[in-house]
Amino acid sequence: MSYDLIAIFMFASMMLMLMTGQRVFGAIGAVAAAAALTLWGTGGSDIPFSSAMKLMNWYPLLTLPMFIFMGYVLSESKIADDLYKMFHVWMGPIHGGLAIGTIGLMVLVSAMNGLSVAGMAIGATIALPELLRRGYDKRMVTGVVQAGSSLGILVPPSVVLVLYAMIARQPVGQLWLAGVVPGLIMATMFIIYIAVRCRLQPELGPVLPKEERQVSLGEKLRLLRAGVLPIVIFASMMVPFVKGWTSLVESSAIGAMAAFVAAVVKGRMNRVVFEASVRQTLAISCMFMWIILAALGFGAVFDGLGAVKAIESLFTEQLGLNPWMILILMQLSFLLMGTFLDDTAMLVIVAPLYVPLVAALGFDLVWYGVLYTITTQIAYMTPPFGYNLFLMRAMAPPEITLRDIYGSILPFVCVMLVALALIMTFPQIALWLPEYVYNK
Amino acid sequence: MPGFVSGYIRVVDAINYRVGRVVMYGIFVMAGILLWSSISKTFFLPSLWTLEAAQFAMVAYYILGGPYSIQLDANVRMDLFYGSWSARKKAWVDVFTIFFLIFFLGVLLYGAYDSTSYAIKYGERSPSAWRPYMWPIKVVMCVGLVLMLLQAISELFKDIARIRGEDI
Repeated sequence: MSYDLIAIFMFASMMLMLMTGQRVFGAIGAVAAAAALTLWGTGGSDIPFSSAMKLMNWYPLLTLPMFIFMGYVLSESKIADDLYKMFHVWMGPIHGGLAIGTIGLMVLVSAMNGLSVAGMAIGATIALPELLRRGYDKRMVTGVVQAGSSLGILVPPSVVLVLYAMIARQPVGQLWLAGVVPGLIMATMFIIYIAVRCRLQPELGPVLPKEERQVSLGEKLRLLRAGVLPIVIFASMMVPFVKGWTSLVESSAIGAMAAFVAAVVKGRMNRVVFEASVRQTLAISCMFMWIILAALGFGAVFDGLGAVKAIESLFTEQLGLNPWMILILMQLSFLLMGTFLDDTAMLVIVAPLYVPLVAALGFDLVWYGVLYTITTQIAYMTPPFGYNLFLMRAMAPPEITLRDIYGSILPFVCVMLVALALIMTFPQIALWLPEYVYNK
Repeated sequence: MPGFVSGYIRVVDAINYRVGRVVMYGIFVMAGILLWSSISKTFFLPSLWTLEAAQFAMVAYYILGGPYSIQLDANVRMDLFYGSWSARKKAWVDVFTIFFLIFFLGVLLYGAYDSTSYAIKYGERSPSAWRPYMWPIKVVMCVGLVLMLLQAISELFKDIARIRGEDI
């Protein structure tokens, strides 16, 4: 059997294994181990364990448990509630203001958190009920929360970019900085869309009733303090890193402990919150790390096969496609796969295949990391099997049906596609900040 | 279920629960090491040992914590079909597919045993300035993998019990 056939066979059997619903790391790892054993006999038996050692030696991976812990401390201790109140009071008086405020909330939450699920949980449980009660259109609101939560993995710290960095062997710091401007641009585009839409159709986002707007200026300013906290936490983490005093990994520990201290100072850290955040951190970190471990083994076998070379020549020589067409095809395949895979699984399955191909085609891998992140987010939001759609269904109040969720997403997906196209055409949007910081 | 099977489930689950409950506080060990590293780097001489110590802590954290994460059902599955099956059907499918997990863990353990016995025999050290011995962390990994295997087998027994409609 030729090597490309083996590669295709491995890929297919992995997809089949995943379909059975066995734990993802078990499915990927078993295929990797079986392939290694059949290809290289007893010599191949060391491949899974050597990926465990490789994982250990990959220092930036330590940021993963730190950011997960940070995210759980912030969401379990309800620090986000104060933030929501701040936006509520300040943005309430304009049309669609609460929806715009929710996007702002998401940006701040993203800056303290590396997963999109946390943003979605905060949006669906805190913002969504409030907005519905104020007569906001339910489709509008659902879309806002979903779109806003996608910023979570684009604005640093981002767990997905850490994983991408590991697989693409790119510096995490550069990737994170590359995500900043696109994330903010996307947030701005969402806000513009909401503002324009609510101006044209004021019934979608009514202004707060008068009695609710009667908040004294002193009270308003007091609420503004809530917004300081995320900025302080973010700064305590990013400033020492950008200044070069600490490494990225050390900064992540500072951020995690800063969030912890903030929760203690605010009196929100009780036994239940502490227990939940520590336990969840272990559970989610283990989930990620075992998947990475299995995927590294899979990637090692793939590398050994030289499968990437075969696929590259298939596309460029035999099909005669130019690099941009291949890139767009890859993005499309992401959209398709995102309908039934979750982000980690998708990254670890696809990245070993795509990333070397992207590099071989002469594209910048940091830039591609940003494209990848946005594309996967779009993929999770697109029906019928978007991963985020189901999460949203699980978290949203019962009056929001799956049909509402499907309908809500369309305009925001269009906005995201425009953002994606912008970044594809002008790579500098993503790349200038890392270049500016690192070339000083 | 025969008595020794339910006994096995009870003992293995209890051990892994306790191990997991202790290991979960490892997040503070890692954070502590990293904080010390940034403090020592900024104000005193940089410590040599922090980088590798943090890596060892991380490996112990996720390998020893693995069985507990299985108990918490934290490991994602692709639930395109799985999600809509009945509990009984899930158990039926898992009874077969869990062997893939066991196989993967077995190959991992085999490699771990190989590597650990080499590390002990030749006193392998990490090629860094600190030069720690490698065998302690490898022994921890072996222990973690054994616990993981025991937990996977316990899950298998639980699925069989579920199919037979018994309480575990």
